[in-house]
Amino acid sequence: MNNRDRQDSIQQIRKRIEIHVGLAIAALVVAMGVGAAGFVYWGAYNVSALQQHTEPVFTLLNLALDRSIRQRAEEIEPPPLTPERAEQGRLIYQHKCVQCHGAPGVGRDDVGKGMTPVPPNLAHTAKTKSAAELFWPIKHGIKMTGMPSWQFTFTDEQIWDIVAFITQMPEMSPADYRAMGGGEEREPTRDVTTASAPAPTRAAAVPDPERGKLALYGYACIACHRIPGTVGPHADVGPPLNGIGGRRYLAGVLPNTFDNMVQWLRHPTEVNPLTAMPDLDVTQQDAMDMAAYLETLE
Amino acid sequence: MTARSVCFLLLAPLLATGCGSDEAAPPPGDPEKGRAIIRAYGCGSCHVIPGIPGADGRTGPSLERIAKRVYLAGVLPNTPDDMARWIREPETVDPRTAMPNMGVSESDARDITAYLYTRK
Repeated sequence: MNNRDRQDSIQQIRKRIEIHVGLAIAALVVAMGVGAAGFVYWGAYNVSALQQHTEPVFTLLNLALDRSIRQRAEEIEPPPLTPERAEQGRLIYQHKCVQCHGAPGVGRDDVGKGMTPVPPNLAHTAKTKSAAELFWPIKHGIKMTGMPSWQFTFTDEQIWDIVAFITQMPEMSPADYRAMGGGEEREPTRDVTTASAPAPTRAAAVPDPERGKLALYGYACIACHRIPGTVGPHADVGPPLNGIGGRRYLAGVLPNTFDNMVQWLRHPTEVNPLTAMPDLDVTQQDAMDMAAYLETLE
Repeated sequence: MTARSVCFLLLAPLLATGCGSDEAAPPPGDPEKGRAIIRAYGCGSCHVIPGIPGADGRTGPSLERIAKRVYLAGVLPNTPDDMARWIREPETVDPRTAMPNMGVSESDARDITAYLYTRK
């Protein structure tokens, strides 16, 4: 008798706990829904291309991108990627791809600089992806990245030509690329001799490391270098810049001073005509701001 | 959206790293010998080199993940042959470079390259 009473009351308590837990979960779900709706409705999310994702979000998105492409590329059988194909591909590449991706020793145009995600350096991509994994995104494009689908512009055969060229890029020096007829003289698209366009209201010529950090996104530096404090593809096209503030030489040839860094950032091919670091039409002010940020990386 | 998909999400990073598409054959040369040779030449007085005790020099760039680097010295495509050449005769790659010619023999350069290509 006593035992049964106790069992009943345990049963009742258990039921009450279950109801409470159920209500709490329901309330939490509703609160999250309202929160998410408010987050969207009141525009809390900053869509600026210079406001990079947080590292975990970037990593997850990148993983989703890689997995999606790898999954779909599995069924694609590449044809032989001959040098003739690569040469055909180079001609297309120079007309349609270099604007955003650049080429060995050739900088991207302005349109390819301030994008998020930053269009990758394809010499780096070619080192880590299969031919089919290069083919798929060219043919189908990639949502929300700026990468268009080219299947209504080029035939599959032409896309394989482009792939053939890209697979050769990791073994191509800037001099090789120039010798093929790539990278003809290009004019700066705007006046880059004086102060930069978007910084008119501030006392000129005072280097601002925070703005410099933004400029590292704005000039797509993160497409080729690992730079502490930035989120990006972590590509090893050029050397990682951790500790660059304490490095003795820049580019292997210049003593590392503030002025030399500015010079190197603005006119790398004047400092070293052989370099793969491209001229990106960096303004004096932007270079000073970037140098100020890089100086802090001890 | 159940245990299965949760499992997949947890496993995905492993899969992603596990089946790297094209693992190139390692370059010729003996990485273990290369490690000793790197210490003997004192490469670490100018470069950070992971795996080499005391290699924390800040004259030239860090050699972390050097096997993955696209360009050497900012000018050469990173292949084992080019790396060995750069180590032996840096001035032929870039006449203005601060990297000195240390009189490294061909076989030593191969071994150093083999070691550096383990740094991914």
